[in-house]
Amino acid sequence: MNWAVAIKGACLAAMLALVGGSLIPSARAEDVTLTVWSHEADEPAKVAFRDQVASDLEKQHPGLHIKITWFEKNGLYTALRTALPAGRGPDVFYLEPDQLHQYVTAGYLLPLDDLVNWNQIYPWARAVWQENGKSWGIPQEVNDNVIYYNKDWAKKLGVVLPVGGQLSQSAFVDLVKKARAAGMVPIAQGVGDRPYPGAYIIGEALLHKLGKEDYAKLWTGKLSFSDPRVVEVLTWVKQLVDAGAYPKDFMTIKLGESFYYFYSKPGALMLPMGSFYSGRAFAPPDKGGQPADFPLGIMQYPAMDGGACNNCQTAGIGSSFVINAATKHPKEAAEFLDAMSTPASGAIWIGKVYEPGAMKTDITQFGGPHGAYLSELMESQKNVDPFIGMPLDLMTDGGCKDAFGQVLNSAFPGGLLSVDKAVQMMNAACYQH
Amino acid sequence: MPQPAMGIRLPPAVVSWGRSSVDVWQPSPLTLTLFLGPAVLIFVGFTAYPVLRTFYNSLYLVGPKGAATFVGLHNFSQVLRADPVFWTAVRNTAIFTLVGTPLDVFGGLLLALCLFAGVPFARSLRVIWFLPVLMSYVVVGIIWVWIYDYDWGALNLLLHAVGLGRLEHSWLGDPATALWAVMAAHLWKWLGFNMIVFLAALHALPGDVLGAAELDNCGWIAKAIYIIIPMLRPTLVNLLVLSFIGKMMIFDLVWIMTQGGPLWSTETVSTYVYKRAFDWNTFDLGYPSAIAVLWFIIIIAFVLVVSWLLRQRDRLEF
Repeated sequence: MNWAVAIKGACLAAMLALVGGSLIPSARAEDVTLTVWSHEADEPAKVAFRDQVASDLEKQHPGLHIKITWFEKNGLYTALRTALPAGRGPDVFYLEPDQLHQYVTAGYLLPLDDLVNWNQIYPWARAVWQENGKSWGIPQEVNDNVIYYNKDWAKKLGVVLPVGGQLSQSAFVDLVKKARAAGMVPIAQGVGDRPYPGAYIIGEALLHKLGKEDYAKLWTGKLSFSDPRVVEVLTWVKQLVDAGAYPKDFMTIKLGESFYYFYSKPGALMLPMGSFYSGRAFAPPDKGGQPADFPLGIMQYPAMDGGACNNCQTAGIGSSFVINAATKHPKEAAEFLDAMSTPASGAIWIGKVYEPGAMKTDITQFGGPHGAYLSELMESQKNVDPFIGMPLDLMTDGGCKDAFGQVLNSAFPGGLLSVDKAVQMMNAACYQH
Repeated sequence: MPQPAMGIRLPPAVVSWGRSSVDVWQPSPLTLTLFLGPAVLIFVGFTAYPVLRTFYNSLYLVGPKGAATFVGLHNFSQVLRADPVFWTAVRNTAIFTLVGTPLDVFGGLLLALCLFAGVPFARSLRVIWFLPVLMSYVVVGIIWVWIYDYDWGALNLLLHAVGLGRLEHSWLGDPATALWAVMAAHLWKWLGFNMIVFLAALHALPGDVLGAAELDNCGWIAKAIYIIIPMLRPTLVNLLVLSFIGKMMIFDLVWIMTQGGPLWSTETVSTYVYKRAFDWNTFDLGYPSAIAVLWFIIIIAFVLVVSWLLRQRDRLEF
């Protein structure tokens, strides 16, 4: 047998099969597979919610298959940054508002104004996702920045607060000192894998002191960090740091670990956190959730002396979803977004995740094992004047964001910088003279 | 068709390209293509093209959906003149490399000499010292983050147990100690590799030379300094260069342990390139590509200088 001819023929046949196979439609015309990339892989309640929405939608639309790939946030963002420029991104993906500007500028998002049912979403939540007069993402999760605390430990220190109670700035310092003296870790917080948790107390204190307008100006580079009010707040935070407010492992504790640190081992008095706390904390205890009998309390951030808005509170939009501008299935993608946003879905979201959502739902109706927590959370928000957007959502410059992560999130609360040095570094990176 | 010698019948598809004193089977171009093709394709697709593309991107401002604007050397100029974080990363990487490389290589040599000298439990020690090499950087990083944990990490607990509690420290949380802490973890991982390479080289040394040294009443240390190490010079140079290159590109361990913090004290050039490419508020790859190209050139230059400085000037005869 002429082996040379046989081998050449086999190679040719293989090539033809590869090329020809790609020309043949791989599915029937009505079959659509919608690819979704999502964060929250380590939050079982949210995974359950999105899986249920996907499953229900598939039942309603035979031929529609929704394939969700779960990531951790950093991994998701890295995957998107390589897949989208290569034209290989998913149809729908998770995004947070701090990413909006760059993705819109890069042209990777489909405007949603005429695609989704906006009657299901609160207008103020929709506004977070608007740029250049268009809406680019559908918000799902609303994070209220509160301070979770151990009620029993606080009582031992002589502090009993009403729901959503608020201490003065000096009383807060006293509480931290008392906790340290009693051998407690005052604040469980870690910045090992996120660029924002270390700045919760700083951010809310600045919001209370400056008021909404000047607070927004600070993070958009229009107000200097040398402003006496800013220096006053940073000086107060320095008192907390010097009093031992944060754990020694502050630099390396990861976000998820700080939850466990707070309600389990070794335990801490307080945990400043967004209300996405429930996504991890209400997992079963053997899967890292808080103990069933944990005495969880909720307080507001301290009132600042002479503060312009001590009842202001940051309400950030967290998990949201967008549609890839290159998708071949915009209609199906929009249906998936709508399906996640119905009042019924909102009810499922709250029933599983115990968090406020951006979908219009009457959340006072719900009970369940954590219904009391939800009632307490909503009670704590009664007199709050919300400021929509975390500092990182407001910044658009990469250098400023990097400095925020290294300075105000990490080094300053970690006790590595003086007030003057922190002011100098933030001004150098963010202030537009 | 020329007939092969010794009555060996070649398949008709194989063409002999010429006669030599010993006839060998010369593969045809088709055979070469079929066997080398996949490896070449993978090399071109995953190594050569990305490198060339990085060089290309460094000269452009890469906009949305790949739209590129030629900016020439502007990116390089910005990196060298207006980026303090880049210079911090260079300094950290230089310290990591210049201190870590000799520790790595000479530490491995020391371990190899111990095993070669026949210390007790040499076989077990060889396995124990080599085990970290088999672990991935992720596992090593996580292990050492736990070791360095302030509250329950092994290091602080040990210090406390031996009465040195005052030395307990947040090793990864202090800019003064974080880089050294990462370096220690890196050393722990790679000492065993250098040890094994040196051990193989030691066992390949000519026994008669070492025997002659013993006959001349040469002590172990003198034997090591004047005979063994000079004969190991090629291995030493190769490991120094390899270790040097590896440390100049260090990324994984730093990313797992500190992500360049605190306050950029462990930021290396590789982690900074990654952050500029994936963590900043832009899809532009031109600037991080410029940093990568600059660093590539610096590494090549250093390797050439180090190789020239450590070249063998005379030939060892034995």
